[in-house]
Amino acid sequence: MLRDITLGQYYPVASPVHRLDPRTKLMGTLVFLISLFVSDGWPCYLLATVFLAACIKISRVPIGFIFRGLKAVIFLLLFSVVFNIFLTDGDVLVRFWIFKITKQGLIQAGYMAIRLIYLIMGSSLMTFTTTPTSLTDGLERGLGFLKAVKVPVHEIAMMMSIALRFIPILTEEADKIMKAQMARGADFESGSLIKRAKSLIPLLVPLFISAFRRATDLAMAMEARCYHGGEGRTKMFPLKYAGRDAAAYLILAAYLGAVIALKVIF
Amino acid sequence: MGIIKTDRLVFEYTRRDEENQIEEVMRAIDGVSLDIKEGQFVAILGRNGSGKSTLAKHMNALLFPTDGVIWVGEKDTRKEENLWDIRQTAGMVFQNPDNQIIATVVEEDVGFGPENMGVPSAEIWKRVQESLEAVGMTAYRKASPNHLSGGQKQRVAIAGVMAMRPRCIVLDEPTAMLDPNGRKEVIRTIRELNRAEGITVILITHYMEETVSADRIFVMDGGEIQMEGTPREIFSRVKELKALHLDVPQVTELGALLASGGLPVASGILTVKELVEELEKARESGARVSYTGASGDKRAEAVSLDKEPVLELREVTYKYGTGTPMEVKVLKGISFAVPKGQFLSIIGHTGSGKSTLIQHLNGLLKADSGDVLFHGESIYRDGYDKKALRGKVGLVFQYPEHQLFEEDVFTDVCFGPKNQGLSKEQAEERAKEALRLVGMDSSFYRRSPFELSGGQKRRAAIAGVLAMEPEVLILDEPTAGLDPGGRDEILDQVEKLHEEKGMAVVLVSHSMEDVARYAERLIVLDRGTIAYDGAPKEVFRHYRDLETMGLSAPQVTYLAEELRKIGFSLGGDITTVEEAKSAILREFAGAEGEEDAGTAGD
Repeated sequence: MLRDITLGQYYPVASPVHRLDPRTKLMGTLVFLISLFVSDGWPCYLLATVFLAACIKISRVPIGFIFRGLKAVIFLLLFSVVFNIFLTDGDVLVRFWIFKITKQGLIQAGYMAIRLIYLIMGSSLMTFTTTPTSLTDGLERGLGFLKAVKVPVHEIAMMMSIALRFIPILTEEADKIMKAQMARGADFESGSLIKRAKSLIPLLVPLFISAFRRATDLAMAMEARCYHGGEGRTKMFPLKYAGRDAAAYLILAAYLGAVIALKVIF
Repeated sequence: MGIIKTDRLVFEYTRRDEENQIEEVMRAIDGVSLDIKEGQFVAILGRNGSGKSTLAKHMNALLFPTDGVIWVGEKDTRKEENLWDIRQTAGMVFQNPDNQIIATVVEEDVGFGPENMGVPSAEIWKRVQESLEAVGMTAYRKASPNHLSGGQKQRVAIAGVMAMRPRCIVLDEPTAMLDPNGRKEVIRTIRELNRAEGITVILITHYMEETVSADRIFVMDGGEIQMEGTPREIFSRVKELKALHLDVPQVTELGALLASGGLPVASGILTVKELVEELEKARESGARVSYTGASGDKRAEAVSLDKEPVLELREVTYKYGTGTPMEVKVLKGISFAVPKGQFLSIIGHTGSGKSTLIQHLNGLLKADSGDVLFHGESIYRDGYDKKALRGKVGLVFQYPEHQLFEEDVFTDVCFGPKNQGLSKEQAEERAKEALRLVGMDSSFYRRSPFELSGGQKRRAAIAGVLAMEPEVLILDEPTAGLDPGGRDEILDQVEKLHEEKGMAVVLVSHSMEDVARYAERLIVLDRGTIAYDGAPKEVFRHYRDLETMGLSAPQVTYLAEELRKIGFSLGGDITTVEEAKSAILREFAGAEGEEDAGTAGD
């Protein structure tokens, strides 16, 4: 399952979406999320689908990649769908024992599923098209105003980017340790919940130790390369808005407007 | 004053217990004075724990002396205002390639140093470009570091340091975690930087062959400098080096052995070419020795396959990423059997499928097609007890110490037997025996695995697998990252297990010298197929083919080849130093010797 986490992986191709300023993409993702939650009725969702599909198409990231990110949240997805199906009041379609399925419940569940799926797809599209470094740059600049209230924006951004770099490394490491313990007869798959939780100790202890060792090493390597916080730092890629960002903001505004309009009309 | 100078440098690590009381003071550096001239290529050699890495960290002001002084670029590191200057003067490259790359794209990582220094963007770009060119990584500038090989990652790390425009690069065991090709790649790169750009290089390592072209070598042990001199001066002291857990290249060792056998060979031989010249001179001068020793040729010429197989692979294929555009066929129809009690070695270039292959042997990976048989029974049969199989086919992964997790060594070693369902007493019995086999007595039982030395940790981890009493022991690069002394210790122990317990051993290795010395049989894996399968002597005859697969033969095999070119007969295949020594001495021993050589060569 660990391998299914695609969030935070960059897909390196050249596309107009890749070239956008990270702040634009962050804003775009935010607008898309807002649009999903104001959406009501099929026309809105249809528009969202068209918008998302167009973005994916332009980004040249294979659709299979974006779908793969869903595997990690499949339980959350099922959970919320089931809740919505059974716990929404309305016109009863089927009734058995203490459960009932309503028409509204089905519709509600369907919309909820679409929202969640699009939410994941939208945000994975952002991470697939934005290198973690520029993503954190975007956050750092985009949230720069928070520095005034003593929020360590640079440090948070740096922590995020390091976390993103080490996710695949630690994932691989976890896989390796798991196999090594299995070679010593460890069993991660069977037994009661408590037994299974206990069986994770031989995996988690070495994994944490490894993470600490890497952290110490990395801190030293960063110091050796003169890292001393955000003060006096320059950027290899200073963020600059270009014409295409203006165009993207226009499209975003138009899209959000259209979604609200559709919601009001239908 | 040179670019780096130390005066009676002392550094102490202080260990404190929970109440912050001083528990132990360890002196890692003990009065080191040295002076390194700008533009030199300096090597600092020493076993693990000799203090060499601690010394390196002083050169970058990552550690500060307890006593004594160190000047970097004529600046005292103890003065805080010098800190950033010093770190720009002496850049540092570390051992683990993964743990020093900060960014997720190569060029961004190279730019990290200049960014921190506040260099303007346009200038950063220029520097990134130049640094990547200098290490030959321009083609990968947009790549993700996760997709690079170890050698490439280290070159990126070097470029990252170069972009800070240092006068000196300190490399702290940059090749310890790399395969032989990665190692060559990195050494070539730093030599080139030293030669073309005039950068001072300080290379810290325990691989002697990397220091052959150094201007000056310092050998450290116990926190002190034990030897100092040119490579030739240092390499002529073979015995002393071995006592310090170090190793010399095969030709150097052979040269010393031949000299003590009576041949006029100069001491401190550094290359195959030099030894060939020495021997040619000796022959022309009509040198003679008396040599009646055995042929030194203990190893079989061919593999005997008449023993019943314990493990057998039949046409095993395996793909990674099935159904994705990145699908790779890793194994393409592998068939071989491991007979009872055989010492088998698998060699292959990184990416040839070795690690994938061995995970099939105990059922951790399941073949896409083909079959794996244990004592004639398919392990893919429904209801086959995989857990029992893993007890019988013990697999020791690379860096096995990373899987230690218990509070003390003894409990950790008991983990395997307990999983097998043994009682506490039986498990403890097994653990005791396993620890004895790896040479760890009861004083180690209650120690935390995390306070052991690198070699001890590894032995404890191997004991964890041995405690399950496997019939087949598979080891994936068991010597990776160890110093030569630690390497010999582990391999000798494995050999002992093989002989005493009759255990079949499958050793995956990158070192041709090691496999030639220990293995009865070699399997060469190349891009997912078996290229050769036979006795080491048979296989190394094809050394030219091996080279096209990114492998090589032991250094003495090349020496023998060169000697034959100038008319030496040298009976038999030569794959170890012992064999080379006796073949050459017999050649110089005259008539009776020649006859001997003739029969041995048949």
